[in-house]
Amino acid sequence: MSDYAKPLPRVTALNRPFWEATRRHELCLQRCADCVRFRYPPGPVCPECLSERSDWTRVSGRGTVTTWVVFHQKYFESFAADLPYHVVQVQLAEGPRLTANLVDVPNGELRIGMPVDVVFDDVTPEITLPRFRRAQ
Amino acid sequence: MRLAAQAFKAALDDAGLGKDAVDGLVINIGWPLGVDYDRFAESLGLRLSFAAQSWTHGRFVNTMLQHAVLAVAAGLARCVACVCGVSFIGERQILGGPGDLEGTREEGGTHEENPVYGLTAPAAGAALSAQRYFALYGASSEQLAAVPIAFRKHAMLNPQALMRKPLTLADHQASRYVVEPLHLYDCCLVSDGAAVVLVTSAERARDARKRPVLVGGLQGMRAGRDEFLFGLPGLGIGQQREFRYTPDDEQLLAFRMAGVTQRDIDGLYTYDAFSPLVWFLLERFGFCGLGEAAAWTQGGRIELGGELPMNTSGGLLSEAHVSGWNSIVELVRQLRGECGERQVKDARVMQFATAWGDATIFHN
Repeated sequence: MSDYAKPLPRVTALNRPFWEATRRHELCLQRCADCVRFRYPPGPVCPECLSERSDWTRVSGRGTVTTWVVFHQKYFESFAADLPYHVVQVQLAEGPRLTANLVDVPNGELRIGMPVDVVFDDVTPEITLPRFRRAQ
Repeated sequence: MRLAAQAFKAALDDAGLGKDAVDGLVINIGWPLGVDYDRFAESLGLRLSFAAQSWTHGRFVNTMLQHAVLAVAAGLARCVACVCGVSFIGERQILGGPGDLEGTREEGGTHEENPVYGLTAPAAGAALSAQRYFALYGASSEQLAAVPIAFRKHAMLNPQALMRKPLTLADHQASRYVVEPLHLYDCCLVSDGAAVVLVTSAERARDARKRPVLVGGLQGMRAGRDEFLFGLPGLGIGQQREFRYTPDDEQLLAFRMAGVTQRDIDGLYTYDAFSPLVWFLLERFGFCGLGEAAAWTQGGRIELGGELPMNTSGGLLSEAHVSGWNSIVELVRQLRGECGERQVKDARVMQFATAWGDATIFHN
């Protein structure tokens, strides 16, 4: 049994390929098989052309920070030891934005526009969370 | 429920009506924060031919008010009570954290919640937008303080307001962060309260005890990939595209319907759960240009006596969090000239609108 106490993602039929990929330490996004546009969050049809055909394509894992916040108020007991902790949104080179944390970046050094690369954090045997680090 | 019942009786008294005159009910905030339509109808002994209730969020104030207006216009009801009775104090555990079930929605909550990474609570959504807005337009927390300071000044003129001590820029800056860059005073009160608004036809309203306020124009809330509830289109939060937003005709439908422009608005009211929402509202409806709200709100412009008084009862930031219905009550009182020392002089046209694009224009 894992002693990881923080909330875990709800794995669904739609998002399962995303989480299976992160477990392999790959970042994959859903892409329309007809108009080849990436989309996130996962959905049953392409929001551009409504095609139901899609595949999951590995992406670069490179992106830039588009916004960030720092939590000072405790909402989750499981995050209490991390306070004050930050959360960022990262725009991937392929377009979609993911919410995540940065590793090894102190809150005082957070900047919009910071280039970042994905890293993988195996938080439980089943779940691996993508996070980001300063671009190397 | 008790507060809602008392507000309902006060509204009937204000209109000079008995409860049997009410045949419609709309509720914006249901259980557990508020009371559901079926329980309210049963408890107050109402016989209804029209009832509607929205998802339990303050964003649906205009939506539900407009349901009432449309029901009367379509002949589905003669008089609709819009009832809001809320206990944020009793249910504060749903405002973020493990008790906030909606915030755990797959692929993110409606304020971009993502508890896997610790991102929770509506305040976080406003903080994500504020941070990016600050960076894009060179705005600052010091400038943002003008919003809660203005509304506190209004609350000090309102005997019903909860927060009546002066608020200074130094107080604002010294207050703790909730979710940086938002300070405590950028975040609304956690309070209990109730408000009731009665909607009927102009013809019936003429027989009421007090002078009615008329609805002149409306427009609905916006949704889609370019919309993030707590940020303007184009800001680039969540999956929003990035572009320079300017309000087009579609965004200004309510003005056109009412035959007015921004310059005719004598008072602007909004859902000020977090102070950045006031900036986004001003830019959404073209009261100022994109990126200009930070400077535009300085120097008392949104205060009583200023060019565009906003939330003159103190709003959610300083009067109470009655989900914004307190601001509908306030603008009705303003348009009737009942507001004493906080009365907007010669008030004729007022607007309730939100950062997510809905609006109702009222006039006397």
